[in-house]
Amino acid sequence: MKILVIISQTQDTEAKIKVSAAGNSIDTEGMKWIMNPYDEFAVEEAIQTKEKHGGEVVVVSMGPARVVETIRQALAMGADSALHILDEGSPDMDSFAMGKIIAGEIRKLGGFDIVFTGMKIIDEESGQVGVQIAEELGIPHVSLVSKVIEINPTANKAVCQKEIDGGHMVVEVPLPCLITCPDAMNDPRYASLPGIMKAKKKPLTEVKVSDINLDGLTRVKTVEIKVPQIERRLRIIKGQDGPMVKGAEVEKAAEELIKLLREEAKVI
Amino acid sequence: MSNEVWVVADLKIDGSVRQVTFEALSEARKKIAGKLGGELCGVLIGSGVSGHAAELGKYGAGKVYVVDNELLKNFNTEGYTIALSELIKKYSPAVVIAGNTVFGQDYFPAVAARVGAGVTMDAIEIDLTDDKKLRIKRFSHSSKAIPTQVFLDHHPMMTTVRPNSFKAAEDPKTPEVVDGAVTINPGDIKSKVIEIKTKGSDRPELTEAERVVSGGRGLGSEENFKYIYQLADMLGAAAGATRAAVDAGYCPYDMQVGQTGKAVSPSLYIAIAISGSVQHFAGMGSSKVIVAINKDPEAPIFQKCDYGIVGDLFDVLPPFTEKVRALVSQS
Ligand SMILES: Cc1cc2nc3c(=O)[nH]c(=O)nc-3n(C[C@H](O)[C@H](O)[C@H](O)COP(=O)(O)OP(=O)(O)OC[C@H]3O[C@@H](n4cnc5c(N)ncnc54)[C@H](O)[C@@H]3O)c2cc1C
Repeated sequence: MKILVIISQTQDTEAKIKVSAAGNSIDTEGMKWIMNPYDEFAVEEAIQTKEKHGGEVVVVSMGPARVVETIRQALAMGADSALHILDEGSPDMDSFAMGKIIAGEIRKLGGFDIVFTGMKIIDEESGQVGVQIAEELGIPHVSLVSKVIEINPTANKAVCQKEIDGGHMVVEVPLPCLITCPDAMNDPRYASLPGIMKAKKKPLTEVKVSDINLDGLTRVKTVEIKVPQIERRLRIIKGQDGPMVKGAEVEKAAEELIKLLREEAKVI
Repeated sequence: MSNEVWVVADLKIDGSVRQVTFEALSEARKKIAGKLGGELCGVLIGSGVSGHAAELGKYGAGKVYVVDNELLKNFNTEGYTIALSELIKKYSPAVVIAGNTVFGQDYFPAVAARVGAGVTMDAIEIDLTDDKKLRIKRFSHSSKAIPTQVFLDHHPMMTTVRPNSFKAAEDPKTPEVVDGAVTINPGDIKSKVIEIKTKGSDRPELTEAERVVSGGRGLGSEENFKYIYQLADMLGAAAGATRAAVDAGYCPYDMQVGQTGKAVSPSLYIAIAISGSVQHFAGMGSSKVIVAINKDPEAPIFQKCDYGIVGDLFDVLPPFTEKVRALVSQS
């Protein structure tokens, strides 16, 4: 099987967020870049699919030169080759344009059986690129797959479980198809030391976005970014001797909390 | 191109209309349709759904487009994508809105790609700029940032909206019902839903609830989650959980609140034995009042809640729930 996995590099959003001077982007100065966590699950699923059915895993990623590091990480986990769509920060490129460009390059690669990608990227959180790529490629997709039940290259189909409100649904889809991955669908492996060594020699092809016509592709523009400020009351009830409330304090704490919720916050 | 503003109804598995549909209709009427000078319309996609037109009319839809097809009985990606794309191509609305539900996230970006439209997801505010472009606000960067985004010169302008972000307000109309007359063939449906399992619940849905009680890894077992359900039921609240609790099998996946799971913003969120991770807060950080019960005084959640008790949940919850019960039975 030819298995594709689309990944991106993202700002580690555990970190503090600062808006840039221009006011419509995030200041990435000094920020740590990591593989988008949801894409780690996608890479793992791709490698497991290869381990079961044979074939190759091709990584596709778009971004500036620094994303090579993330691509190498996926190669070290066990992917076989990679395509880097080099984009040195095209101003105002939105998700729509991104989807078009990535799909265009995947079409050129051709001959794939299945595509995995994360459900969204944790910085922009636009949550649409994966599905848009499937549509651009003219292949069906299953989004937010909690479990790949079966991939059957002979019968040319995949069977996936997807969680819905109050339960789940099982979807059967013909190959080639695209699957978007939430967290917890598998347990992403760490890159081993030999894996990291091997990754350095695996083939990595580069195409430049400047060679692609971007005219009129963007549909949405970010005009401003604000950091929400929510002041919390921070009224914490603690124990007398030691942090935890104990014994008779418990009743009093429960009583006090109810009073606060009723009289101060007025929510019960 | 018309000036119409469309809201696509989001249907639950039992066929009823999800609350976010009424919220979107109300907000679109207030913030968009008037300024644009276009009619507010509902869109119903499904099988045997035209009966819901009156409900959409109650929230201000003057016209309701219906695509009624046996093949749309249960939600399926291609069926919905074809239905909405064909309607858009035929009637060319200015703005199209849907709920950011599991289904909305699945087919809405596909429709946008198919009709060449721009789309944003999970908006918490919508309105129009002076030159009549759709403008939205949403969360990004694990809910630590709120970008404002404006649409450029393409039509239609499409967005999903986060449930429970707007008030549903009635504005009764008797809508004109338009048969969308979209043809869908069995061969068009590539991904087939071969099984749906749902269990009914008497608790409110997480994304719609005014109060939420959630449990984390510290609950320790599925059995112990009864403490969460008891308190939730006492408060008329929805029950939620962290990924750690779901992962451990203490409760089903659809209870997960957070970056991957549901986004909620109730007026009261009670977090029990939850440490307060960035990913969990990405889904509930905008709740009006946050309460934490945790035995670790150093738990990060105590830095970002309104009220808290440092204590063992097994000590604190029984008397707390009992006092809530007394309160409820009084009133
Ligand atoms: C890509 C990605 C997406 C994610 N998405 C989500 C998401 O959508 N939602 C989500 O919740 N998480 C998500 N996570 C996981 C997240 O990082 C945390 O691991 C998770 O939220 C922790 O859950 P927790 O607070 O229940 O567990 P822990 O962090 O283990 O905290 C348990 C808490 O319980 C307390 N405790 C234990 N016993 C008791 C007791 N008897 N009484 C009182 N307190 C007690 C402990 O002091 C501790 O603070 C995601 C992670 C990744 C990488």
